[in-house]
Amino acid sequence: MRRKIAVVPERCSGCRVCEMACAVHRQRINNPKKARIRVTTIYPHPVVRMPVVCNQCKDAKCMSACPTDAIYKRNGVVRIRHDDCIGCHACVDACPFGAMYIHPDIDVPLKCDLCEDNGHPQCVKMCPTGAILFMPEHVFGQAHRLNNVLSYTHMKEIEYTEGGKPKRLHYADNNAAEGRDGKGSRR
Amino acid sequence: MKKHNGGYFRQILHVDMTRGTSRTEAIDDEFIESYVGGRGFAIKLLWDNLEKNGTLDPLGPENMLVVAAGPLTGVYLPSSGKNSFASISPATGLFGDSSMGGGFGVELRQAGYDAVAIVGRAEQLSYLLIDDDRISIVPCPELKGKGNLETEGKIRDMLGDHDVKVASIGVAGENLVRFACVTSDWSRNAGRTGIGAVMGSKNIKAIAVRGHRDLPVANIDKVIEISEQAYKELGAHDMMDHWQKQGLMGVVDYANVMGILPTYNFRDTHWEKSDSINGKTMLASHKIGNTACFGCPMCCGNINLVKEGKWAGTVTEGPEYETAAMLGSNLGVDNFASILRGNHLCDDLGMDTISTGNLIAVVIEGYEKDLLTLDDLDGKPITWGDDDRIMELIEQIAKCESIGATIALGAKGVLERWPQLAPIVLHVKGLEQSAYDCRGASSMALAYGTSDIGAHHTRAWTVGKELEMGADWDIEQKVDLVIHHQHIRSLFDMFGVCRLPWIELGFHEDFYAKLYSAVVGQQYDLEDLLGKSQHMYDMTRAINCKLGAARGDDYPPPRTFIPVHSGPLAGKVCDKEDYERMLALYYQKRGWDEQGEPQIACN
Repeated sequence: MRRKIAVVPERCSGCRVCEMACAVHRQRINNPKKARIRVTTIYPHPVVRMPVVCNQCKDAKCMSACPTDAIYKRNGVVRIRHDDCIGCHACVDACPFGAMYIHPDIDVPLKCDLCEDNGHPQCVKMCPTGAILFMPEHVFGQAHRLNNVLSYTHMKEIEYTEGGKPKRLHYADNNAAEGRDGKGSRR
Repeated sequence: MKKHNGGYFRQILHVDMTRGTSRTEAIDDEFIESYVGGRGFAIKLLWDNLEKNGTLDPLGPENMLVVAAGPLTGVYLPSSGKNSFASISPATGLFGDSSMGGGFGVELRQAGYDAVAIVGRAEQLSYLLIDDDRISIVPCPELKGKGNLETEGKIRDMLGDHDVKVASIGVAGENLVRFACVTSDWSRNAGRTGIGAVMGSKNIKAIAVRGHRDLPVANIDKVIEISEQAYKELGAHDMMDHWQKQGLMGVVDYANVMGILPTYNFRDTHWEKSDSINGKTMLASHKIGNTACFGCPMCCGNINLVKEGKWAGTVTEGPEYETAAMLGSNLGVDNFASILRGNHLCDDLGMDTISTGNLIAVVIEGYEKDLLTLDDLDGKPITWGDDDRIMELIEQIAKCESIGATIALGAKGVLERWPQLAPIVLHVKGLEQSAYDCRGASSMALAYGTSDIGAHHTRAWTVGKELEMGADWDIEQKVDLVIHHQHIRSLFDMFGVCRLPWIELGFHEDFYAKLYSAVVGQQYDLEDLLGKSQHMYDMTRAINCKLGAARGDDYPPPRTFIPVHSGPLAGKVCDKEDYERMLALYYQKRGWDEQGEPQIACN
């Protein structure tokens, strides 16, 4: 079972502990700018905080952009062969997520390899708000799927009493679904 | 002398805005050992500048602005995103400093400086760009009149770099409002003592920083070991969930129950409507996100949105307790959305919410008691909870228009124009009192009175402890507690870290001594460090004495000596004679003379 990193921006506080955990464990250096994960913050319209880290793409654009074939895969993890890297940064430019990083002290771009040699990604372990997850690939998309299904149905709420305590129940009102538009969709 | 193998870049950047020049000054182990860093370095630099100039005008070019993160700022440890701004305060005319959270200090350290000392005045409005070794002063007249939010974005656009850190002033700083703040990361403020006005007086709209260096750490393995244990313990703390959800907003209920919530200009200390301005109300209807300073698991910052009503669309980072109390109960405002609007305006205009709420309350009470006339108010009446007029006043203060031009001069300026307000202005040394009433706990009165920067709570927050456990304390215990707090709390500003994990989640102070030792590669225990902190407190006192401060400036506001008339602490008051005895004992314990003059050599 392959696993990869998922981020939940809604939970991110922007504290950058992930950056520090990465830098101190991977580089043994106290420098958040040498991390392979970085938090991007947008404020105030809209308010978003998102750790940006490599998705270990199956068809990795960084890999195909590399003119010296320095980027390769091992166990599904996209890696850089330092000896072959010429520091042209074509990979950094090619990544659709901006998930590769450059630091002036280092010629080879910084890229997440899931801390594969130490077992578990340190950013996931240290995130204080649970915004960074290490999940099996097959569960990716489940949360979105569930949310989508829940928004599709016509949820209604009833309140009732059970054992003297007030309770609430949600149910899908299928009759209300008759009001859908011509395409069979509410939205 | 100890040799420090980490923690410092060993250079201070000096900038002269008049000449447009900069240079670096190397610092040695002796300097480091004496002053530790952050606020400590700032105190030494300000002392030397004062020696050079004699007395000085806080808003004149000869005054120095010091920006200094500490040796632990940006280090892998909980809540290491703090940075001190210090200068001679235009509010008090004495030593002033304020600490800012966020990530600005980390970036400044990564640029390779332990402190930046700025003097002079630029010919036109400019921003100071510190880009690792490259220092430039960039004219930016087009940013005149811009708010903090827009300024931060515009400078990033100009530099084409979204990650540059910017500390800026708003309209209030440009207009030299005596309680103007410096703002970074959109809403993290060095709020107190008017540092924003000092920046404005130097024609500095902003300081932009970009740094790439490794922060020097002598023993990284030890730091990782101690810090990860720390993160684990904090994460497992019972109150962690509450902190992440409410941050400091949880203090509203506490203050109300204890009877220390400033209400109607500190006339009352308990408010029946406090539920409308507390953390639960925030969570139920306004909070849309969390935010944290660098390295902090507590994420006490609350991002709020007003979704309906006249302030709809207002986004703000905040409030925290101080803002909710000073712009809420202290002004009789029970509409949470109005507090958010006030917070947003203060952040964007660049004004301290504590002083703003304090002085607007004075105006409302002054008018209510006929101490101010309708003419004084430019023909526009104001009353408790009048949020439209309050928002208008906030803007008038920042722009120095109408009555705002007087309020902008701070407590001292207000009293100069309207001396009849003396009984109802709550300030010490010219700094407006923050949001804890001290009549139920005389140690807190002493803390406000003897604070080097004026009536600010973070120098020694003893009110909670005395109310909870101090019923039988004698004055010696109170004096000892205040002195201990003044030393240990200063240490956090010298290290450049936040005190909240310590004071709120019970994180032991020894932890910081261990981490500092690991970072610098030398053994220090807490007692060593507290001794250095004490020396810093003596030095700020020496600075203040040089600038004219004396015993008469060490008293809490007059209202402290008038009994509370309602709520849980009804009838409580600080006894004047007790206070005199405490103050005399305080001087004695500090080794200061009867006028509070320290008997030390400052060099």
